[in-house]
Amino acid sequence: MQDQDYILFENYLLGNLSKEDVIAFENRLESDSKFKESFNTYIELTSFLKDKFEGEVASNAFQNNLKNISQSYFEKQEAPKKQMRFKPWLYATAASVVLLISIVLFNNLSAPVYQDYANYDSISLTIRGEQDALLHTAENAFNNKDFAKAEEAFKSLMVLDKDNAELQFYSAVSNIELDKFEKAEILLANLIKGQSVFKNKAIWYLALSNLKQKEFDDCLEILKTIPEGADDYDRAQKLIKKLD
Amino acid sequence: MSEKKTHEDQKYIDGLLKNNSFIIQAIYDKFVPKVINYIKQNSGSSDEAQDIIQDTLITIYNQASQKKLELTCPFDAYFFLLCKRKWLNELKKSSNKEVTINEEVLYKDDDAQELAFETSLFGEKQALFTEMFQKLGNACKELLTATFKIKSMEEVATSLGVSYAYARKKKSLCIGKLTELVQESPKFNQLNN
Repeated sequence: MQDQDYILFENYLLGNLSKEDVIAFENRLESDSKFKESFNTYIELTSFLKDKFEGEVASNAFQNNLKNISQSYFEKQEAPKKQMRFKPWLYATAASVVLLISIVLFNNLSAPVYQDYANYDSISLTIRGEQDALLHTAENAFNNKDFAKAEEAFKSLMVLDKDNAELQFYSAVSNIELDKFEKAEILLANLIKGQSVFKNKAIWYLALSNLKQKEFDDCLEILKTIPEGADDYDRAQKLIKKLD
Repeated sequence: MSEKKTHEDQKYIDGLLKNNSFIIQAIYDKFVPKVINYIKQNSGSSDEAQDIIQDTLITIYNQASQKKLELTCPFDAYFFLLCKRKWLNELKKSSNKEVTINEEVLYKDDDAQELAFETSLFGEKQALFTEMFQKLGNACKELLTATFKIKSMEEVATSLGVSYAYARKKKSLCIGKLTELVQESPKFNQLNN
Protein backbone atom coordinates (compact mmCIF):
# COMPACT_ATOMS: atom_id res chain seq x y z
CA MET A 1 0.00 0.00 0.00
CA GLN A 2 1.01 3.58 -0.63
CA ASP A 3 1.13 6.28 2.03
CA GLN A 4 -1.89 7.76 0.29
CA ASP A 5 -3.89 4.63 0.98
CA TYR A 6 -3.34 4.82 4.73
CA ILE A 7 -4.35 8.45 4.75
CA LEU A 8 -7.44 7.41 2.83
CA PHE A 9 -8.21 4.70 5.41
CA GLU A 10 -8.06 7.23 8.21
CA ASN A 11 -10.22 9.76 6.41
CA TYR A 12 -12.78 7.11 5.55
CA LEU A 13 -12.94 6.00 9.20
CA LEU A 14 -13.28 9.59 10.39
CA GLY A 15 -16.04 10.28 7.84
CA ASN A 16 -13.97 12.97 6.14
CA LEU A 17 -14.52 11.79 2.55
CA SER A 18 -16.93 13.23 0.02
CA LYS A 19 -19.84 11.13 -1.20
CA GLU A 20 -18.08 10.27 -4.46
CA ASP A 21 -14.88 9.36 -2.65
CA VAL A 22 -16.77 7.05 -0.28
CA ILE A 23 -18.34 5.23 -3.22
CA ALA A 24 -15.00 4.92 -4.94
CA PHE A 25 -13.43 3.67 -1.68
CA GLU A 26 -16.09 1.05 -1.15
CA ASN A 27 -15.87 -0.11 -4.76
CA ARG A 28 -12.18 -0.59 -4.36
CA LEU A 29 -12.71 -2.62 -1.17
CA GLU A 30 -14.81 -5.01 -3.22
CA SER A 31 -12.56 -5.29 -6.21
CA ASP A 32 -9.09 -5.12 -4.63
CA SER A 33 -8.54 -7.91 -2.13
CA LYS A 34 -5.11 -6.64 -1.03
CA PHE A 35 -6.63 -3.24 -0.35
CA LYS A 36 -9.39 -4.84 1.67
CA GLU A 37 -6.98 -6.98 3.66
CA SER A 38 -4.84 -4.00 4.56
CA PHE A 39 -7.90 -1.99 5.51
CA ASN A 40 -9.12 -4.76 7.82
CA THR A 41 -5.74 -5.03 9.49
CA TYR A 42 -5.60 -1.24 9.81
CA ILE A 43 -8.95 -1.29 11.64
CA GLU A 44 -7.88 -4.16 13.85
CA LEU A 45 -4.70 -2.34 14.83
CA THR A 46 -6.53 0.92 15.47
CA SER A 47 -8.84 -0.85 17.85
CA PHE A 48 -5.91 -2.69 19.44
CA LEU A 49 -4.09 0.60 20.09
CA LYS A 50 -7.22 2.23 21.42
CA ASP A 51 -7.86 -0.61 23.90
CA LYS A 52 -4.20 -0.85 24.84
CA PHE A 53 -3.85 2.73 25.87
CA GLU A 54 -7.31 3.42 27.17
CA GLY A 55 -7.34 0.44 29.48
CA GLU A 56 -3.71 0.71 30.50
CA VAL A 57 -4.22 2.00 34.03
CA ALA A 58 -6.85 -0.58 34.94
CA SER A 59 -4.89 -3.33 33.26
CA ASN A 60 -1.70 -2.47 35.16
CA ALA A 61 -3.60 -2.47 38.44
CA PHE A 62 -5.00 -5.88 37.59
CA GLN A 63 -1.62 -7.29 36.61
CA ASN A 64 0.03 -6.08 39.81
CA ASN A 65 -2.69 -7.54 41.96
CA LEU A 66 -2.53 -10.80 40.03
CA LYS A 67 1.22 -11.01 40.43
CA ASN A 68 0.94 -10.63 44.20
CA ILE A 69 -1.71 -13.30 44.53
CA SER A 70 0.18 -15.63 42.22
CA GLN A 71 3.44 -15.06 44.08
CA SER A 72 2.03 -15.85 47.48
CA TYR A 73 0.12 -18.83 46.13
CA PHE A 74 3.23 -20.39 44.65
CA GLU A 75 5.39 -19.53 47.65
CA LYS A 76 2.97 -21.45 49.82
CA GLN A 77 3.25 -24.38 47.44
CA GLU A 78 7.02 -24.34 47.52
CA ALA A 79 7.48 -23.71 51.23
CA PRO A 80 7.28 -27.25 52.59
CA LYS A 81 9.59 -28.55 49.88
CA LYS A 82 12.40 -26.18 50.77
CA GLN A 83 12.57 -27.56 54.31
CA MET A 84 12.73 -31.13 53.07
CA ARG A 85 16.06 -32.83 53.54
CA PHE A 86 16.49 -36.50 53.14
CA LYS A 87 17.02 -38.01 56.50
CA PRO A 88 16.19 -41.58 57.41
CA TRP A 89 13.47 -40.65 59.86
CA LEU A 90 11.76 -38.78 57.07
CA TYR A 91 11.05 -42.04 55.32
CA ALA A 92 9.36 -43.32 58.43
CA THR A 93 7.34 -40.12 58.65
CA ALA A 94 6.46 -40.35 54.99
CA ALA A 95 5.33 -43.94 55.42
CA SER A 96 3.11 -43.06 58.34
CA VAL A 97 1.68 -40.13 56.43
CA VAL A 98 0.78 -42.45 53.58
CA LEU A 99 -0.80 -44.81 56.07
CA LEU A 100 -2.71 -41.94 57.65
CA ILE A 101 -3.88 -40.68 54.30
CA SER A 102 -5.12 -44.10 53.35
CA ILE A 103 -6.94 -44.41 56.65
CA VAL A 104 -8.50 -40.99 56.15
CA LEU A 105 -9.37 -41.84 52.55
CA PHE A 106 -10.86 -45.12 53.61
CA ASN A 107 -12.93 -43.36 56.21
CA ASN A 108 -14.03 -40.78 53.71
CA LEU A 109 -15.18 -43.38 51.28
CA SER A 110 -17.17 -45.43 53.74
CA ALA A 111 -20.35 -44.13 55.35
CA PRO A 112 -19.66 -42.24 58.56
CA VAL A 113 -20.27 -44.18 61.75
CA TYR A 114 -21.16 -43.15 65.27
CA GLN A 115 -17.89 -44.42 66.78
CA ASP A 116 -15.91 -41.95 64.70
CA TYR A 117 -17.76 -38.99 66.08
CA ALA A 118 -18.64 -39.80 69.69
CA ASN A 119 -16.05 -37.57 71.29
CA TYR A 120 -16.73 -37.57 75.00
CA ASP A 121 -13.75 -37.77 77.31
CA SER A 122 -13.43 -39.38 80.68
CA ILE A 123 -15.79 -37.72 83.07
CA SER A 124 -15.27 -36.48 86.55
CA LEU A 125 -18.46 -36.18 88.50
CA THR A 126 -17.13 -36.16 92.02
CA ILE A 127 -16.27 -32.90 93.59
CA ARG A 128 -13.16 -32.89 95.70
CA GLY A 129 -13.90 -33.70 99.29
CA GLU A 130 -17.34 -35.01 98.53
CA GLN A 131 -17.49 -38.72 98.98
CA ASP A 132 -20.59 -39.91 97.28
CA ALA A 133 -20.18 -43.59 96.55
CA LEU A 134 -22.86 -43.62 93.89
CA LEU A 135 -21.20 -40.80 91.95
CA HIS A 136 -17.93 -42.70 92.11
CA THR A 137 -19.58 -45.79 90.77
CA ALA A 138 -21.15 -43.87 87.89
CA GLU A 139 -17.91 -42.12 87.05
CA ASN A 140 -15.77 -45.26 87.12
CA ALA A 141 -18.25 -47.33 85.19
CA PHE A 142 -18.63 -44.67 82.52
CA ASN A 143 -14.88 -44.22 82.16
CA ASN A 144 -14.42 -47.97 81.93
CA LYS A 145 -17.13 -48.09 79.28
CA ASP A 146 -19.35 -50.24 81.45
CA PHE A 147 -22.37 -48.28 80.37
CA ALA A 148 -24.98 -50.61 81.81
CA LYS A 149 -23.55 -50.16 85.27
CA ALA A 150 -23.10 -46.45 84.73
CA GLU A 151 -26.66 -46.03 83.62
CA GLU A 152 -27.93 -47.84 86.73
CA ALA A 153 -26.02 -45.42 88.88
CA PHE A 154 -27.18 -42.41 86.86
CA LYS A 155 -30.76 -43.53 87.22
CA SER A 156 -30.48 -43.67 90.98
CA LEU A 157 -28.66 -40.36 91.14
CA MET A 158 -31.31 -38.65 89.05
CA VAL A 159 -34.02 -39.72 91.42
CA LEU A 160 -32.39 -37.49 93.98
CA ASP A 161 -31.24 -34.78 91.61
CA LYS A 162 -33.58 -34.85 88.64
CA ASP A 163 -32.67 -31.45 87.23
CA ASN A 164 -28.92 -32.10 87.08
CA ALA A 165 -28.03 -31.45 83.42
CA GLU A 166 -24.67 -33.16 83.69
CA LEU A 167 -26.23 -36.40 84.93
CA GLN A 168 -28.91 -36.23 82.25
CA PHE A 169 -26.33 -35.73 79.56
CA TYR A 170 -24.06 -38.61 80.53
CA SER A 171 -27.03 -40.83 81.12
CA ALA A 172 -28.13 -40.03 77.56
CA VAL A 173 -24.68 -40.88 76.20
CA SER A 174 -24.72 -44.17 78.12
CA ASN A 175 -28.10 -44.99 76.67
CA ILE A 176 -26.87 -44.31 73.14
CA GLU A 177 -23.97 -46.64 73.81
CA LEU A 178 -26.44 -49.26 75.02
CA ASP A 179 -28.63 -48.73 71.93
CA LYS A 180 -31.47 -47.50 74.12
CA PHE A 181 -32.16 -44.67 71.77
CA GLU A 182 -35.64 -43.78 72.86
CA LYS A 183 -34.58 -43.18 76.42
CA ALA A 184 -31.49 -41.26 75.32
CA GLU A 185 -33.44 -39.02 73.02
CA ILE A 186 -36.01 -38.08 75.66
CA LEU A 187 -33.18 -36.95 77.91
CA LEU A 188 -31.45 -35.06 75.10
CA ALA A 189 -34.67 -33.37 73.98
CA ASN A 190 -35.08 -32.16 77.52
CA LEU A 191 -31.57 -30.71 77.57
CA ILE A 192 -32.05 -29.06 74.20
CA LYS A 193 -35.14 -27.27 75.50
CA GLY A 194 -33.21 -26.04 78.52
CA GLN A 195 -30.46 -23.49 78.90
CA SER A 196 -27.66 -25.54 80.46
CA VAL A 197 -24.10 -25.70 79.18
CA PHE A 198 -25.00 -29.09 77.72
CA LYS A 199 -27.59 -27.62 75.34
CA ASN A 200 -25.44 -27.71 72.20
CA LYS A 201 -23.69 -30.94 73.17
CA ALA A 202 -27.14 -32.47 73.46
CA ILE A 203 -28.00 -31.47 69.87
CA TRP A 204 -24.74 -33.02 68.68
CA TYR A 205 -25.44 -36.29 70.48
CA LEU A 206 -29.03 -36.35 69.29
CA ALA A 207 -27.59 -36.24 65.77
CA LEU A 208 -25.12 -38.98 66.65
CA SER A 209 -27.90 -41.10 68.09
CA ASN A 210 -29.62 -40.90 64.72
CA LEU A 211 -26.35 -41.63 62.98
CA LYS A 212 -25.93 -44.79 65.02
CA GLN A 213 -29.44 -45.85 63.99
CA LYS A 214 -28.51 -45.06 60.37
CA GLU A 215 -31.25 -42.45 60.21
CA PHE A 216 -29.06 -40.30 58.00
CA ASP A 217 -31.71 -37.82 56.90
CA ASP A 218 -32.79 -37.06 60.44
CA CYS A 219 -29.17 -36.85 61.53
CA LEU A 220 -28.50 -34.30 58.80
CA GLU A 221 -31.46 -32.13 59.77
CA ILE A 222 -30.41 -32.09 63.41
CA LEU A 223 -26.77 -31.30 62.57
CA LYS A 224 -27.89 -28.23 60.67
CA THR A 225 -29.40 -26.79 63.85
CA ILE A 226 -26.06 -26.73 65.69
CA PRO A 227 -25.23 -23.05 66.04
CA GLU A 228 -21.94 -21.61 64.92
CA GLY A 229 -19.69 -21.21 67.92
CA ALA A 230 -20.78 -24.50 69.46
CA ASP A 231 -17.87 -26.75 70.45
CA ASP A 232 -18.87 -29.38 67.96
CA TYR A 233 -19.75 -27.00 65.12
CA ASP A 234 -16.73 -27.88 62.96
CA ARG A 235 -17.16 -31.59 63.49
CA ALA A 236 -20.83 -31.20 62.62
CA GLN A 237 -19.99 -29.39 59.39
CA LYS A 238 -17.65 -32.18 58.35
CA LEU A 239 -20.29 -34.77 59.06
CA ILE A 240 -22.85 -32.75 57.10
CA LYS A 241 -20.53 -32.77 54.11
CA LYS A 242 -20.20 -36.53 54.27
CA LEU A 243 -23.88 -37.13 54.60
CA ASP A 244 -24.97 -34.64 51.97
CA MET B 1 -24.91 -19.03 19.02
CA SER B 2 -27.50 -16.61 20.31
CA GLU B 3 -29.40 -19.39 22.02
CA LYS B 4 -26.50 -20.26 24.26
CA LYS B 5 -26.96 -19.35 27.86
CA THR B 6 -24.29 -17.62 29.83
CA HIS B 7 -22.80 -20.06 32.33
CA GLU B 8 -22.99 -19.27 36.04
CA ASP B 9 -19.18 -19.30 36.10
CA GLN B 10 -19.33 -15.94 34.33
CA LYS B 11 -18.78 -14.63 37.87
CA TYR B 12 -15.10 -15.53 37.52
CA ILE B 13 -14.79 -13.48 34.33
CA ASP B 14 -16.61 -10.54 35.87
CA GLY B 15 -14.49 -10.83 39.00
CA LEU B 16 -11.27 -10.72 36.98
CA LEU B 17 -12.56 -7.70 35.12
CA LYS B 18 -13.29 -5.92 38.39
CA ASN B 19 -9.88 -6.89 39.74
CA ASN B 20 -11.63 -8.64 42.62
CA SER B 21 -8.90 -10.21 44.76
CA PHE B 22 -11.32 -12.61 46.36
CA ILE B 23 -12.28 -14.07 42.99
CA ILE B 24 -8.68 -14.20 41.78
CA GLN B 25 -7.73 -16.07 44.94
CA ALA B 26 -10.65 -18.45 44.42
CA ILE B 27 -9.44 -19.18 40.89
CA TYR B 28 -6.01 -20.09 42.25
CA ASP B 29 -7.45 -22.26 44.99
CA LYS B 30 -9.96 -24.05 42.81
CA PHE B 31 -8.61 -24.30 39.29
CA VAL B 32 -4.86 -23.79 39.39
CA PRO B 33 -3.73 -27.06 41.05
CA LYS B 34 -4.96 -29.07 38.09
CA VAL B 35 -2.99 -26.88 35.67
CA ILE B 36 0.18 -27.15 37.75
CA ASN B 37 -0.16 -30.93 37.73
CA TYR B 38 -0.65 -31.01 34.02
CA ILE B 39 2.37 -28.82 33.29
CA LYS B 40 4.58 -30.74 35.71
CA GLN B 41 3.54 -34.02 34.14
CA ASN B 42 4.44 -32.62 30.75
CA SER B 43 8.05 -31.57 31.19
CA GLY B 44 7.36 -28.30 32.98
CA SER B 45 8.44 -26.80 36.27
CA SER B 46 6.49 -25.02 38.94
CA ASP B 47 7.95 -21.66 37.81
CA GLU B 48 6.86 -22.28 34.25
CA ALA B 49 3.39 -23.19 35.47
CA GLN B 50 3.27 -19.93 37.39
CA ASP B 51 4.07 -17.91 34.26
CA ILE B 52 1.65 -19.79 32.04
CA ILE B 53 -1.18 -19.34 34.51
CA GLN B 54 -0.47 -15.66 35.00
CA ASP B 55 -0.29 -14.99 31.27
CA THR B 56 -3.49 -16.89 30.68
CA LEU B 57 -5.38 -14.86 33.27
CA ILE B 58 -4.07 -11.63 31.73
CA THR B 59 -5.26 -12.77 28.30
CA ILE B 60 -8.70 -13.57 29.71
CA TYR B 61 -8.78 -10.16 31.39
CA ASN B 62 -7.82 -8.40 28.16
CA GLN B 63 -10.36 -10.23 26.09
CA ALA B 64 -13.09 -9.59 28.61
CA SER B 65 -12.29 -5.90 28.81
CA GLN B 66 -11.93 -5.37 25.08
CA LYS B 67 -14.22 -7.78 23.35
CA LYS B 68 -16.81 -8.81 25.91
CA LEU B 69 -16.35 -12.38 26.96
CA GLU B 70 -19.42 -14.48 27.61
CA LEU B 71 -18.74 -17.80 29.16
CA THR B 72 -21.05 -20.53 27.85
CA CYS B 73 -19.17 -23.37 29.53
CA PRO B 74 -17.63 -24.07 32.96
CA PHE B 75 -14.68 -21.82 33.78
CA ASP B 76 -12.68 -24.89 34.80
CA ALA B 77 -12.73 -26.40 31.29
CA TYR B 78 -12.13 -23.09 29.53
CA PHE B 79 -9.24 -22.12 31.77
CA PHE B 80 -7.59 -25.52 31.66
CA LEU B 81 -7.75 -25.71 27.87
CA LEU B 82 -6.26 -22.24 27.55
CA CYS B 83 -3.36 -23.02 29.86
CA LYS B 84 -2.80 -26.33 28.15
CA ARG B 85 -2.72 -24.72 24.71
CA LYS B 86 -0.32 -22.06 25.91
CA TRP B 87 1.96 -24.65 27.45
CA LEU B 88 2.00 -26.78 24.31
CA ASN B 89 2.95 -23.72 22.29
CA GLU B 90 5.71 -23.03 24.77
CA LEU B 91 7.00 -26.57 24.38
CA LYS B 92 6.98 -26.31 20.63
CA LYS B 93 9.07 -23.15 20.80
CA SER B 94 11.79 -24.85 22.81
CA SER B 95 11.55 -28.16 21.03
CA ASN B 96 14.73 -29.46 22.55
CA LYS B 97 12.55 -30.47 25.45
CA GLU B 98 11.15 -33.90 25.22
CA VAL B 99 7.44 -33.66 24.79
CA THR B 100 5.29 -36.34 26.31
CA ILE B 101 1.78 -35.22 25.83
CA ASN B 102 -1.23 -37.22 26.76
CA GLU B 103 -3.60 -36.30 24.03
CA GLU B 104 -6.61 -37.70 25.76
CA VAL B 105 -9.61 -35.49 25.41
CA LEU B 106 -10.12 -34.10 28.86
CA TYR B 107 -13.02 -31.94 27.94
CA LYS B 108 -15.50 -32.92 25.34
CA ASP B 109 -17.32 -29.67 25.83
CA ASP B 110 -17.44 -28.04 22.40
CA ASP B 111 -18.25 -24.66 23.84
CA ALA B 112 -15.13 -24.80 25.95
CA GLN B 113 -13.00 -25.79 22.96
CA GLU B 114 -14.43 -23.03 20.85
CA LEU B 115 -14.14 -20.33 23.49
CA ALA B 116 -10.63 -21.37 24.44
CA PHE B 117 -9.65 -21.27 20.81
CA GLU B 118 -11.04 -17.74 20.38
CA THR B 119 -9.31 -16.49 23.49
CA SER B 120 -5.95 -17.98 22.63
CA LEU B 121 -6.17 -16.53 19.14
CA PHE B 122 -6.97 -13.18 20.68
CA GLY B 123 -4.01 -13.54 23.05
CA GLU B 124 -1.57 -14.45 20.32
CA LYS B 125 -2.66 -11.53 18.19
CA GLN B 126 -2.25 -9.17 21.10
CA ALA B 127 1.25 -10.49 21.69
CA LEU B 128 2.13 -10.11 18.03
CA PHE B 129 0.71 -6.57 17.79
CA THR B 130 2.59 -5.53 20.92
CA GLU B 131 5.81 -6.97 19.55
CA MET B 132 5.37 -5.14 16.24
CA PHE B 133 4.46 -1.90 17.98
CA GLN B 134 7.82 -2.07 19.74
CA LYS B 135 9.51 -2.31 16.34
CA LEU B 136 8.15 1.07 15.24
CA GLY B 137 10.45 4.09 15.29
CA ASN B 138 10.39 6.26 18.40
CA ALA B 139 8.57 9.10 16.65
CA CYS B 140 5.70 6.80 15.70
CA LYS B 141 5.53 5.17 19.12
CA GLU B 142 5.39 8.55 20.78
CA LEU B 143 2.77 9.93 18.44
CA LEU B 144 0.51 6.89 18.67
CA THR B 145 0.80 6.73 22.43
CA ALA B 146 -0.16 10.38 22.68
CA THR B 147 -2.97 10.00 20.14
CA PHE B 148 -4.72 7.19 21.95
CA LYS B 149 -4.09 8.52 25.41
CA ILE B 150 -5.11 12.10 24.86
CA LYS B 151 -7.77 11.44 22.24
CA SER B 152 -8.02 15.03 20.98
CA MET B 153 -5.76 15.38 17.95
CA GLU B 154 -5.41 19.13 18.53
CA GLU B 155 -3.96 18.56 21.96
CA VAL B 156 -1.69 15.85 20.64
CA ALA B 157 -0.37 18.22 17.99
CA THR B 158 0.26 20.94 20.57
CA SER B 159 1.96 18.59 23.00
CA LEU B 160 4.29 17.29 20.30
CA GLY B 161 4.87 20.76 18.82
CA VAL B 162 3.61 19.89 15.34
CA SER B 163 0.69 21.15 13.25
CA TYR B 164 -2.70 19.49 13.52
CA ALA B 165 -2.68 18.44 9.87
CA TYR B 166 0.76 16.91 10.24
CA ALA B 167 -0.21 15.01 13.38
CA ARG B 168 -3.26 13.55 11.68
CA LYS B 169 -1.36 12.53 8.60
CA LYS B 170 1.43 11.09 10.70
CA LYS B 171 -1.05 9.06 12.72
CA SER B 172 -2.39 7.27 9.64
CA LEU B 173 1.11 6.68 8.31
CA CYS B 174 2.26 5.22 11.62
CA ILE B 175 -0.70 2.85 11.82
CA GLY B 176 0.03 2.09 8.15
CA LYS B 177 3.61 1.21 9.05
CA LEU B 178 2.36 -1.02 11.84
CA THR B 179 -0.10 -2.64 9.41
CA GLU B 180 2.79 -3.53 7.14
CA LEU B 181 4.95 -4.91 9.93
CA VAL B 182 2.08 -7.11 11.08
CA GLN B 183 1.19 -8.30 7.60
CA GLU B 184 4.78 -9.19 6.84
CA SER B 185 5.14 -11.42 9.87
CA PRO B 186 4.64 -15.10 9.08
CA LYS B 187 2.93 -15.49 12.43
CA PHE B 188 0.09 -13.20 11.36
CA ASN B 189 -0.76 -15.25 8.29
CA GLN B 190 -0.65 -18.35 10.42
CA LEU B 191 -3.11 -16.84 12.87
CA ASN B 192 -5.45 -15.60 10.19
CA ASN B 193 -5.85 -18.97 8.56
